[in-house]
Amino acid sequence: MAGRALLKLTIPAKAEALKSLRDALNEALDRTGAEAGVRERLVLAVHEAACNVIRHAYPDGADGSIRLSLTRQRGNLRFWLRDFAPPVDPKAIKPRDLSECRPGGLGINFIDDTMDSWRLRPVKHHRGNVLTMRKRLRGTGHQ
Amino acid sequence: MKNECRTQNDGDFVLVTVSGEVDLSWSQQIRKAILDGLAKAGAVGVELSQVSYIDSSGIAALVEGFQNARGKGQKFALIAASPSVRGVLELARLDRVFPMVDTVEAARA
Repeated sequence: MAGRALLKLTIPAKAEALKSLRDALNEALDRTGAEAGVRERLVLAVHEAACNVIRHAYPDGADGSIRLSLTRQRGNLRFWLRDFAPPVDPKAIKPRDLSECRPGGLGINFIDDTMDSWRLRPVKHHRGNVLTMRKRLRGTGHQ
Repeated sequence: MKNECRTQNDGDFVLVTVSGEVDLSWSQQIRKAILDGLAKAGAVGVELSQVSYIDSSGIAALVEGFQNARGKGQKFALIAASPSVRGVLELARLDRVFPMVDTVEAARA
């Protein structure tokens, strides 16, 4: 889907870089006119996606990077998160049962609850994976 | 608000006060403070009024503390959770799991 680029960012796949990702994303979403509660949920979902890359995609703390881009077409936001890690099996990535009270494993649930749709797939013919997440904003008008 | 986790010991009660944005970069510090508190006292309260952001790793630290306390018959409560914390607890369907109080005194009682 084409659209206006609102944000393009590359961060190292390190936990210390997550704040810069959140701040840049929050600023970009603020410019869309999205209300604060919606912004917070979107920032959390994208942050959790980046956390999953840091924790699971790059093995044993290997150096790597995460690329984030955010585009908007009318009221539709598209978040695109790319890593350069070994390919994941998309079928293994799914929300868990939240009736179990246990630490961990909440990131995908947050993404699933927040976004209208998401899709994780290995990049064909290249190293890495892409997570695409979509969210329709309501009531912010067209740009 | 600075990212900080402070521990205060008061008899058989440990107060862990957390502030700032809790994320993967330092949530282990909070986890350790909670578990250390439970190792030395019969009750731990985690004060969260100054937490402006929390991610799933921060929530996991709270869950682990709660389960640890429950397993040993110890008291564990979240104190004055900020709207950000409450929002993420609701998202995780944990808002009715934790004992939640408004003041440190209520956590001690």
